[in-house]
Amino acid sequence: MAVKNPSSAREVILEVENVSKSFPGVKALDRVSFDLRKGEVHALVGENGAGKSTLMKILSGVYQPDEGTIRYKGKAVSFRDVNDSHKAGVGIIYQELNLLPHLSVAANIFIGREPLTKYGTLDEKKMNADAAEILNRLNIRLDPTIILQRLPVSKQQMVEIAKALSLNSEVLIMDEPTSALSEAEIDELFSIIHALRDHGVAIIYISHRLEELRHIVDRISIFRDGHSVSTDDFTAIRPYEIVSRMVGRKIEAVFPPKQNVPTKEKLLEVRNIVRAGILHDISFDLYRGEILGFAGLMGAGRSELGRAIFGADPIDSGDVIMGDRKLSLNSPADTIKAGIAYLSEDRKAQGLAVKMRLTENVTMANVQKISKRFGVISRDQEMEATQRYVKDLNIKTPSLTQIVNNLSGGNQQKAVVAKWLFKDSKILIFDEPTRGIDVGTKYAIYELIGRLAREGKGIIMISSDLPEIVGLTDRMLVLHEGSLAATLTTAKTTPEEILRYAAGVTKSIQGDARMSDQKPTQARKQP
Amino acid sequence: MNETKVEPSETTKTSNRSAEALDRLLTFAAVIILFIIFSIVAPYFFTVRNVLDLALQTCTITMMGIGVTFCIITGGIDLSIGSVVALTGTIAVIVAIRGVPIWLSIIIGVLVGVVTGSINGLMVTRLKLPPFIATLGMMMVARGVALTITNANSYSAPQGFSGLGNDTLFGTGRQFPGIPYPVIIMIVVALVFGFLLSRTRLGRYIYATGSNEEAARLSGININQIKVTVYIICGMLSGLVGVILASRMVSSQPNSAVGYELNAIAAAIIGGTSFMGGVGTILGTVIGSFIIGILTVGLTMAGANYFMQQIVIGLVVIGSVTLDQVRTRR
Repeated sequence: MAVKNPSSAREVILEVENVSKSFPGVKALDRVSFDLRKGEVHALVGENGAGKSTLMKILSGVYQPDEGTIRYKGKAVSFRDVNDSHKAGVGIIYQELNLLPHLSVAANIFIGREPLTKYGTLDEKKMNADAAEILNRLNIRLDPTIILQRLPVSKQQMVEIAKALSLNSEVLIMDEPTSALSEAEIDELFSIIHALRDHGVAIIYISHRLEELRHIVDRISIFRDGHSVSTDDFTAIRPYEIVSRMVGRKIEAVFPPKQNVPTKEKLLEVRNIVRAGILHDISFDLYRGEILGFAGLMGAGRSELGRAIFGADPIDSGDVIMGDRKLSLNSPADTIKAGIAYLSEDRKAQGLAVKMRLTENVTMANVQKISKRFGVISRDQEMEATQRYVKDLNIKTPSLTQIVNNLSGGNQQKAVVAKWLFKDSKILIFDEPTRGIDVGTKYAIYELIGRLAREGKGIIMISSDLPEIVGLTDRMLVLHEGSLAATLTTAKTTPEEILRYAAGVTKSIQGDARMSDQKPTQARKQP
Repeated sequence: MNETKVEPSETTKTSNRSAEALDRLLTFAAVIILFIIFSIVAPYFFTVRNVLDLALQTCTITMMGIGVTFCIITGGIDLSIGSVVALTGTIAVIVAIRGVPIWLSIIIGVLVGVVTGSINGLMVTRLKLPPFIATLGMMMVARGVALTITNANSYSAPQGFSGLGNDTLFGTGRQFPGIPYPVIIMIVVALVFGFLLSRTRLGRYIYATGSNEEAARLSGININQIKVTVYIICGMLSGLVGVILASRMVSSQPNSAVGYELNAIAAAIIGGTSFMGGVGTILGTVIGSFIIGILTVGLTMAGANYFMQQIVIGLVVIGSVTLDQVRTRR
């Protein structure tokens, strides 16, 4: 917070003071303060949910703060909408591309402020020429008349940057601008950023990739859980300090005692899974009675890996082997039959038919089991099976035939588990099982997962909540940008180590991360 | 159009251009081929009188199609236009009977279309109703109002009301009967709204809204305003068609134009308008409606009955969109 900065003589262009913003159920920003100077690149880092994106949306006028002040060029401002912030000279490049796929490059750059002829019609000629000039200035070789959707994503990103720059922005906010770019394109982008900085543009640079910051960043601010933790000169802070401030909180003892003991019996072998641009040659094993975590930052490919094993997304190569059989990964049909269950992050959209009854949901994946001749469903058997799971999993419901939508989040989660248990699944992949669930219910879910493992299921636990991974798993895969950065034994690692691998800063700090992923099983503790 | 100083990848540039040119040629070619086929099959098809007749018959669906194209480009739809045609024509005739001057009653008819269009737009933007639902409701309400105020009767319009739909321009007697007013109006409408869509900011924002609503919003475009505008345009053109149709029939027909909305939508779709939004042109819709028109008239003259025509037009809709899918997937 106290800034000891040699360049602090530079003029502050943007100042955020004690800004708070709440959404129903979450305080996204809690009295955050932050300042930005002319001609600096200011990195903003923090875990998912730290409040970075919310602050950016406030600065660009998409949201309004609940309290606090924003001073721009010394004057208190409140941007009512995007037009307002644009006019003031604050440009933003969003993480998800926000472009118009059916329009030309030039039309995208000038959307909302198209040059007009004296007759009031669009001046395409001028627009194309101006766009060409902007692209030229940025050294981007692109035909401004080409339709955007014909370009690769990386070029589209360049258009997004050109668009923000054409506003003559004095403040430019970049939210994960490199996430879709190749190495060469990143270099290109960095030289653009350097040039802008030299012209006095102030840049807020949000990134998960700590290793790329050192090329461009002057100062760094760290956010955590909606608070601004610190602001420092980048040269004055060590990478591990950044990481530990990002994690910050200590792990509270909200986890049930360990119930399961991993066996040596291989349930699942995953070999060389490749999905171009998303998953790079990932191999691992899962054992009976084991809870295996998938850790990593947003966009690392955790869910994608889970979905690939389940056959939900197409992969380019690789095998999933159960017993001695290679599973067909074209669709989930074969993996489900083999006994793999995927409990998706979005229960309502993918896991449950929320407008149907509990009974119907529990039996949905295995209706044959309760069907009599000619496919007639036996209501009695259905009730009986549901009753068993309601008792077994302690699902709190007024009746067996309750509409699932009316159950609480935790009980919905249990209903999904019941569905897959009824299907006799041997491997359960939990994708963010506790998202949107209150603390008390979380405990129950953790207990349930532990018990399933004790009963001999193999559990894969995908979570962006690091304490959860640390508190629950036996081993974990740490993913970084679609590659396996490390396979760690939970008992022998620390949150800091995990985050270092996840952020890809390991190379500069300690040894070669690749060492551990070549012998994933040896890292395991023998039972 | 582009005299830029950059020299980017020439290959993508030229292939891009030629692909678009080819697309345009293909749809034109379809019309010309149809003309040639029917000229051979039905000897009287390619005569001045018949071509004029064809244009006259096609202009209702063309103008309705142009209106609905605006809605579809934003990712919406307007199912109410058929009923609105009946309602606006009916009201125009009724006020004319009550002694309102002809020119004023025509304007009133068009304004009724503007009102229904505004209501559609407000339902979509304020009540957040899906366009399909909002305009389905309006379709029923407008038809019901037309039937109620006339008690389901048709009334003859006063003298002079028939001019708009039945008079012609540039006629030279026997050799050339003249261009019917509705055809001239259609040409003007196509030019004006084609220009609006391709050359003005409003048009650009209409494409932007349909292409990526969120991106458009974040670019500072008032997407609600854009959406209301397209429904007003659509309603207004339906109103125009309504008074033209009433004038041609010289009466109020509350039961007319049933199902016209579907033909108009078909015309837009055949013309390359994407149901996903963001894509479509007025020229495309004009061509689309003429393909339907030529098929209808041509098949009739070639001796095919109405049911046969329905089958053919249905297949053309399916075929043209399939072709589009194949081309874009490539």
